[in-house]
Amino acid sequence: MSTRHSTYAEHYLQDNEVAERHDKTFFGVREKRDRMAHDLPEWEDLRKAADGIKRHTVTHLAEYLEQFEANAVKNGIHVHWAADSDEYNAIVLDILRSHAVKKVVKSKSMLTEECHLNESLEKNGMEVIETDLGERILQMMHLAPSHIVMPALHVHREQIGDCFREQIPGTSESDDPTYLTHVARLHLRKQFMEAGAGMTGANFGIAATGEVVVCTNEGNADMSTSIPKLHIVSMGIEKLIPDYRSMAVFQRLLARCGTGQETTVYTSHFRGPRPGGEMHIILVDNGRSQILGDADHWQTLKCMRCGACMNTCPVYRRSSGYSYTYFIPGPIGVNLGMLRDKDKYYDNVSACSLCCSCDNVCPVKVDLSTQIYRWRQELDSLGHSDPMKKFMSKRMAFLFNHPGVYTGTLRLAKAVNWMPKCLVNSKLNPWAYGHKMMKFPKNSFHRLWKKKKI
Amino acid sequence: MNKMSAREQILNALRGNTRERYDMPDLSEISPIVYDDPVGQFIKKATTTAGAKLLEMEAGDSIDELVLLAYPEAKIIASNVKGVTAQLNPDTVETAQELASVDVGVIEGAIGVAENACVWIPQTMKEKAVCFASEYLVILLHKHDIVNNMHEAYARIEASDKYFQKYKFGTFISGPSKTADIESALVYGAQAARGVTVVLINN
Amino acid sequence: MKVGLFIPCYVDALYPEVGVQTYKLLRSLGVEVDYPEKQTCCGQPMGNAGFERLSVPLAEKYDQLFRDYDYVVAPSASCAAYVRVFHPGQIRGKDPQHECMASKKTVDVVEFLHDILKVDSLPAKFPYKVSVHNSCHGVRELGLSSPSERNIPKFNKIIDLLSLVEGITVVEPERPDECCGFGGMFSVEEKAVSLKMGSDKLRRHISTGADYITGPDSSCLMHMEGVAKKLGLEIKFVHVVEILSAGL
Repeated sequence: MSTRHSTYAEHYLQDNEVAERHDKTFFGVREKRDRMAHDLPEWEDLRKAADGIKRHTVTHLAEYLEQFEANAVKNGIHVHWAADSDEYNAIVLDILRSHAVKKVVKSKSMLTEECHLNESLEKNGMEVIETDLGERILQMMHLAPSHIVMPALHVHREQIGDCFREQIPGTSESDDPTYLTHVARLHLRKQFMEAGAGMTGANFGIAATGEVVVCTNEGNADMSTSIPKLHIVSMGIEKLIPDYRSMAVFQRLLARCGTGQETTVYTSHFRGPRPGGEMHIILVDNGRSQILGDADHWQTLKCMRCGACMNTCPVYRRSSGYSYTYFIPGPIGVNLGMLRDKDKYYDNVSACSLCCSCDNVCPVKVDLSTQIYRWRQELDSLGHSDPMKKFMSKRMAFLFNHPGVYTGTLRLAKAVNWMPKCLVNSKLNPWAYGHKMMKFPKNSFHRLWKKKKI
Repeated sequence: MNKMSAREQILNALRGNTRERYDMPDLSEISPIVYDDPVGQFIKKATTTAGAKLLEMEAGDSIDELVLLAYPEAKIIASNVKGVTAQLNPDTVETAQELASVDVGVIEGAIGVAENACVWIPQTMKEKAVCFASEYLVILLHKHDIVNNMHEAYARIEASDKYFQKYKFGTFISGPSKTADIESALVYGAQAARGVTVVLINN
Repeated sequence: MKVGLFIPCYVDALYPEVGVQTYKLLRSLGVEVDYPEKQTCCGQPMGNAGFERLSVPLAEKYDQLFRDYDYVVAPSASCAAYVRVFHPGQIRGKDPQHECMASKKTVDVVEFLHDILKVDSLPAKFPYKVSVHNSCHGVRELGLSSPSERNIPKFNKIIDLLSLVEGITVVEPERPDECCGFGGMFSVEEKAVSLKMGSDKLRRHISTGADYITGPDSSCLMHMEGVAKKLGLEIKFVHVVEILSAGL
């Protein structure tokens, strides 16, 4: 009885020190987020409003996209539409080629990860430089992100120091984070100066004004777009919000939920190209319009990728991003993975104890744990249910549907008899992996009641 | 591949897949936090969590002197603010790259936000790189431009026709560039300004 | 007031004493208590494992058995939550017109004592230090305490009730409502993560210096007790009801 997630997690937990550090790091972010939530008397009203705004926007998305496009075009922005990742990658490549760009600086964008943009560009001879420090570290180390907001927190300073010493000439022996950050600063400065284009994601698109908003702490999105003259924005169509009044709600929630800060250092509003420059926005669907039609799971479209559900998830914190088979881990990743490809990512559905903590941190109230529960109900018909779980569930259902047999079974055989043999045999018994077997009392409640001993 | 076809395809799919529609919620139900002393709250947030320095400018003070006071080592100053002595002017440099060597950029903020020490910086110069590529940043802000929270700030931006006219960019900046990407250790000066000084102008 | 006593399957088999004490406590408070003998399980083990369809007949049976009582009281927060949150949808899936009466009337024993009977004194004595285990479904589905994630006024119905007991010292662990890692079949399918969650939780309870861990959910207690014994960690376990009924 295991999944790829549970197997990877078991392996990950072999190193207790690493695992504890991971748990502590991300619970620390959760605690910072809690302080933010408790500091604002209007916190729950903000969540309610954010949920309402997103519900409204995603259920009027076609209209808002048209409004957004019209306003963006008025602002002098080129707007492109991509139905899937292939179209998206082709559009980016086309824009870059038509400007004879060789090197691109990029700020963090989960959408580009989703579409495998970097691989596509590199295959076509472009040099792509990630500029978020965490993303740059991962790029240099050839690793994938293990969290959507703090993608490299699982990497230790010594590993980063070694990587920099190998790849950035002049890096000294120190592994001090301040020193290493400044090494990266100088290294990236050079990239900003040389790049022919800057790419960003979009935290929000504002329909009423035709602009995008990008939030960072490092200022790398701003560096990427204030030196190169070509700015390409990649934006999932669900990132739209109606107007500035909505923007205020989300600006206040995003950083508080994501990193436990009152604000990101930079909240940058791009409403058109720079003087003498060009700005392109690519609106990407890649499955989102289909999710809207899914009665059980459409609410994932409300997600603004703050990462709060990962930080609070007791399973994520103890298994790390790499135990999940989809590139977005944690509660939202379990759901988005299933929506991407059920046959490929069903292994992550086990990674939930249904504690419901994620539902309560989510700033837009996505019903994350209920959705995971619903996916579990689908696994059997998809042919991905665990045979042992199915066997046990059927046995239980049979017994519980036949009260006579059930009470008889408990009385005579102390429940152990209705468990499959291999579960009782301690070597194969997964319960015995972490537990001492419980002792069954002589009488069940039912029997005591019947014998009038209560 | 036809550009219009993707557009139609997406919009049609969205229209076809929309089931129940929800109304826009009434945002006036939120009572955002307000402060007895918004300026005091701004100063507190700017100098603690945001990690900025703060100077108050009284009648008769010169900006040049305050810049020197904040960053005595600075050699190259860039600004297009009237009355500031600068070696580089972001309006007249040929390329943004020229601003890479700037020690201190001096820029004007239009709105300060007490809840989070954000300062709204509308782009008022040809090369906005001065706001990000400068090693250190001095932001001038009038005390009477400080509001309580982001709702008030966005309402002001929306109500004004000053912004986004000539240049189509504006940003909220709250203190120096930061990262905690290496083992959660907080470091200032990740990519953009290593330090920020907000000069509060008394009226 | 007539109350139907729901003794969930694992309480029945493993913790009959919890059922007995619930019965005694309710009777001592003047409540008329009935135990429908044909009851079995709420269906949660199958539902959480992904086989809700197998447990729908259980939800229907539950509704038939319990719909005419004034309240249905269960000494198990998670089972009460499952009945309240999931049963109506399951039954409506088959019969959209069906009104799930029993589901509406089902409460955990802590809720019943705190919100319905509004108990404000108890004769119980328990001269020990107890660390409260705020089980997930109790906190986040039934609202037995304010979830730490939310900015709402702080409350804890379990602690309110325990405070009525003479001689008791009540504490909460660090991370007072983090999951212990049981989660039904989660604990066997994700056995390594479940064990780690359980041992982390236990250590936080133990470091309060408590003699006992207590909670409204025997399933969490069963999991933690199994982990504690496996790892050789010293602490005792007691259901909230067993404390509230001490001496009856």
